[in-house]
Amino acid sequence: MSLVLNGTTGITNLPSINSGQIGGSRNLVINGEMQVSQRVGTTATATGNNTYIIDRYTTFASGGAAYTVQQVTDTPAGFKNAAKVTITTADSSIAADAYALMQYRAEGVDIAHLNCGTSDAETVTLSFWVKSSLTGNFGGAMRNSAADRNYPYLYNIAQANTWEKKSITLTLDTTGTWLTTTAVGLVFMWDFGSGTDFQGTADQWQAGNFHSAGSQVKLTSTNGATWYVTGVQLEIGSTATDFEHKSFGEELSLCQRYYEKSYDYDVVAGTTTYIGMHLMGGNVAATAGTSHISGPTIPFQVPKRDNPTIVAYDQAGNSGKCQRFQLGSHNTDNQAISVQSIGTNNFRYITSSSSNSTGTQAHFTADSEL
Amino acid sequence: MAKYKKIINLITNEVDCIQDTETTAFIPIKAGNTDYQAVLKWVADGNTIEEAD
Repeated sequence: MSLVLNGTTGITNLPSINSGQIGGSRNLVINGEMQVSQRVGTTATATGNNTYIIDRYTTFASGGAAYTVQQVTDTPAGFKNAAKVTITTADSSIAADAYALMQYRAEGVDIAHLNCGTSDAETVTLSFWVKSSLTGNFGGAMRNSAADRNYPYLYNIAQANTWEKKSITLTLDTTGTWLTTTAVGLVFMWDFGSGTDFQGTADQWQAGNFHSAGSQVKLTSTNGATWYVTGVQLEIGSTATDFEHKSFGEELSLCQRYYEKSYDYDVVAGTTTYIGMHLMGGNVAATAGTSHISGPTIPFQVPKRDNPTIVAYDQAGNSGKCQRFQLGSHNTDNQAISVQSIGTNNFRYITSSSSNSTGTQAHFTADSEL
Repeated sequence: MAKYKKIINLITNEVDCIQDTETTAFIPIKAGNTDYQAVLKWVADGNTIEEAD
């Protein structure tokens, strides 16, 4: 069947574009342009182990180096935001088992069609815009959830402090176990200075847990070194197509499958505010008491990937607490709270304390990240 | 106080979730939750979750 171009009927018999799907969403990455940052906003934040800063990107650091991640507006043309990594403590002698990296973890249900671990495994292209204060070959890797099948890669930054678009094309693994559930399906990462224990052979699938190929630039060796990334796209096919922009609302909803909060978008959890608090009980006619107060189940704005971890806050920002109040009389923060019946769609909480109250209110965060 | 403590559902009177006493987070007993996976590892390392009040 031949491709037909017709001035009346348009294009027919078109099987694919760049070996990928014709329409819909090509980019398998959520928040690829770093525009959603629910947890810390634009504050430069120290990383930890499996610490999410900008939505959907988790960070790891072990060894002598330390770094921060920050949502910034220094971007290539056509983008609003990027992630900025800054080395705040350099490690001049990186131990073999040290590591520093940022990961994206795709949910298994979202990569099932890539046929990983089968003879039908797709060819995919990972592309991103990057710049750094350092130049040379930087490293990264793609792997499965068990971290026992791994594809290390290198990308070259030619000019310091200049945005460059990079792409890595590979045929996905035809062996190994690749989950297609709500657990981790596929991981890719950028390495900032992992030790020799985590360096594999570039551009081939292999057994093992690697973060990079050898001989790459160690960002963590230079105090104050910076590295930026945005426009992250993973798509089927061997061509890095232009970045597929999504609306902010669409990206936020996609991110909320993994994390949401009762606070307004631009308010960090733990901030002193009553805006967004969930009010429970609140029987204004009842006599105030110290007994249990429960209320309606609190629904999530977006169903979660899995039952999430809940942190509650009172109005003053105390975590693990709620506020008890008597309308028109008083409100008291720092009151005990018990979160219960956490599901993927909702949860509820109950409180009792020495504070005479007719109602209670609390903020929350719900975290179901991978 | 142990790092983790059981939380009783006051309606069903059964253990409903685990509270991280350091972060105050309430962690559902669900294998797919990464915080619960950390609880299981902590227990496997020989620690014991504190009983509910």
